[in-house]
Amino acid sequence: MTQTQTMLDIHNVTKTYGKFTALKGVSLSAPEGEVFGLLGPNGAGKTTLLRILATLLRPTSGTAAVAGYDVLRRPEEVRRRVGVVNGGMGLPARLTGREVLRSFAGLYGMNRAQTEARIAELDAGLELGRTLDVRAGDYSTGMKQKVVIARAVIQDPPVLILDEAASGLDIFARRTLLDFVLATRAPGRLTLYSTHVMSEAEEVCDRVAILHEGQLLTVGRIPDILAQTGEGNLERAFFSLVRGGEQRAV
Amino acid sequence: MVWRIAARDLLSTLRDRRTLAATILMPLILIPALSLGLPLLLGSFIGGQQQERQKVGVVGTLPLALRTALEQDEQQGGQTVRAGVTLVPVTDPGKAVQSGDVEAAIQAPAPLPTRAGQGSAELEVYAKTSSLRAQAGAYGKVQDVVDRYNRTLTLDRLKGLGLGADTLTPVTVKSIDASPPQEQRSGQLAFLIPFLMLQFILSGGMATAIDATAGEKERGTLESLLVSPVRRAEVVSGKLLATTITALTSACFSVAGFLISGLVAAIFLKTRSGLGADITGAMGGQLSLTLGGTLALLGLAASAALIISALLIAIGIYARSFKEAQTYIAPLTLVIVLPAVMLQFADFLTLSTAVYAAPLFGSMVSILNIVKGAAQPSQILLAILANLIGAALLSLLALRSFGREEVIFRN
Repeated sequence: MTQTQTMLDIHNVTKTYGKFTALKGVSLSAPEGEVFGLLGPNGAGKTTLLRILATLLRPTSGTAAVAGYDVLRRPEEVRRRVGVVNGGMGLPARLTGREVLRSFAGLYGMNRAQTEARIAELDAGLELGRTLDVRAGDYSTGMKQKVVIARAVIQDPPVLILDEAASGLDIFARRTLLDFVLATRAPGRLTLYSTHVMSEAEEVCDRVAILHEGQLLTVGRIPDILAQTGEGNLERAFFSLVRGGEQRAV
Repeated sequence: MVWRIAARDLLSTLRDRRTLAATILMPLILIPALSLGLPLLLGSFIGGQQQERQKVGVVGTLPLALRTALEQDEQQGGQTVRAGVTLVPVTDPGKAVQSGDVEAAIQAPAPLPTRAGQGSAELEVYAKTSSLRAQAGAYGKVQDVVDRYNRTLTLDRLKGLGLGADTLTPVTVKSIDASPPQEQRSGQLAFLIPFLMLQFILSGGMATAIDATAGEKERGTLESLLVSPVRRAEVVSGKLLATTITALTSACFSVAGFLISGLVAAIFLKTRSGLGADITGAMGGQLSLTLGGTLALLGLAASAALIISALLIAIGIYARSFKEAQTYIAPLTLVIVLPAVMLQFADFLTLSTAVYAAPLFGSMVSILNIVKGAAQPSQILLAILANLIGAALLSLLALRSFGREEVIFRN
């Protein structure tokens, strides 16, 4: 019997910005082989949590480990093992997609042969085509986001963090992205997929965590959450949980 | 890793035509224009006034010898080195000058003496005396001719008494320029050399620094760099290296600009003579360097590029956007301009060694000393050291900013 590795382990993480508390004692964990959804409206604390996991922000209290490495004590090891994409990420306008990918491959210590092989792999998987040799300044939103994703996974990281990665994408680019996310569901890997679009989560996520105003409302498999709330779809279940949370707060 | 980050920023800079123009073309165009064009223009204006025959108004009558001297061209080697003036009768000399009918006007309230010993009389000369055009033209010519007229009358009288011209000047003064040849060539515009060099270091590094800091924030590319397994110190060092390279490239092109204008000036001055060429030579602003001077200049430029780059990055990372960074960085020009203004008066200042320990200003004074051939190695080393210490402190500040969440996500 093989043992499943815990890829994400968060204990009681709190993050404050001055007097504002963005995360209030969040705890959750996720094993390998999952696409894990982080759901919540804008301002729920999703981006803050994901930035803590990407070592860009420090938690005010609590601990978090990604792929077995503590984000505060071993940040470089964590960064070596995560790829991050968010909706606001861009590309250097005067560099081509290929140059961006080569540049980042260099930062991960990949040699030329490894880099070119990986670029060819991503070209096929994300349907990059001639996009690779066009300067990023001339990209459409969809083209840009595909190259941003390719850049994030250039080193083939075991953990992929996607924060509102589909926002602004047209139907074709969104489809390519969702197919790519589904393909990451594999042993030794974990994809964290943050979105406020419930239908996307229903399609790609194995389990989801629902955050609201910095608090974790629930974590579980989607059918279990639907059963727990008695709702027919995730969006209705989300509203039910949020309203319940607000009533409890009152 | 540092080089990989720098290479990425440099490639982006290389593909930006505006930055390339600011880094390479501007020094090559602006420096010859300022250091050569300005003296040439001034020399040509003044020389032109000497060659031009201006109108001078006359009220009443003048002694024939004086009239003739005023109207006569001055010849040297068969060439006219100074044209005479055209005398025209006027009734109101002041108004005639103000209206522009004449460039100067003369009026003798009483008859002027025609030989020395007849007493003295006053000749009123009307002109716009503060105008460089009048001084180089009609007003200057009238003054010169009257001086010569006085001397001729005096010499004639002395001759009648059996005395020679040396009676008037028992002691004559011969000026010998004791300044080193480099200082002679650098001339009155020498202060432009350190000023423009540092100005181009600043403008050359500016675009890369802003693009690599606030520009990365604005485009959303900084976050992707910071989640790669690169230490923050390496990120700052890479950006510092890229900015320093572009700043230093600009400085090298500014030195090339000075050398080119020096070469052109030497050719020009060889083929020309007269007051215009003398003025061009005196204004100078030309750079001629020894091997040691070149090395010292490069050391100073590199250290100045480093401190300016560190300052640009420390400021740039704080800004939310490219535009905001430009707003913060624009006043930095004063850091270069104000010391350069002081440098104009360097001859009047007694500079203590402590001045060389002032980052950037010490470099400007040292560069001026190199240009004049009066640099001392200890002062140059002190100026370089001051820049390096300043650059190290500013780099630490930039590194601290790259580690602060409120700075990195301040967009």
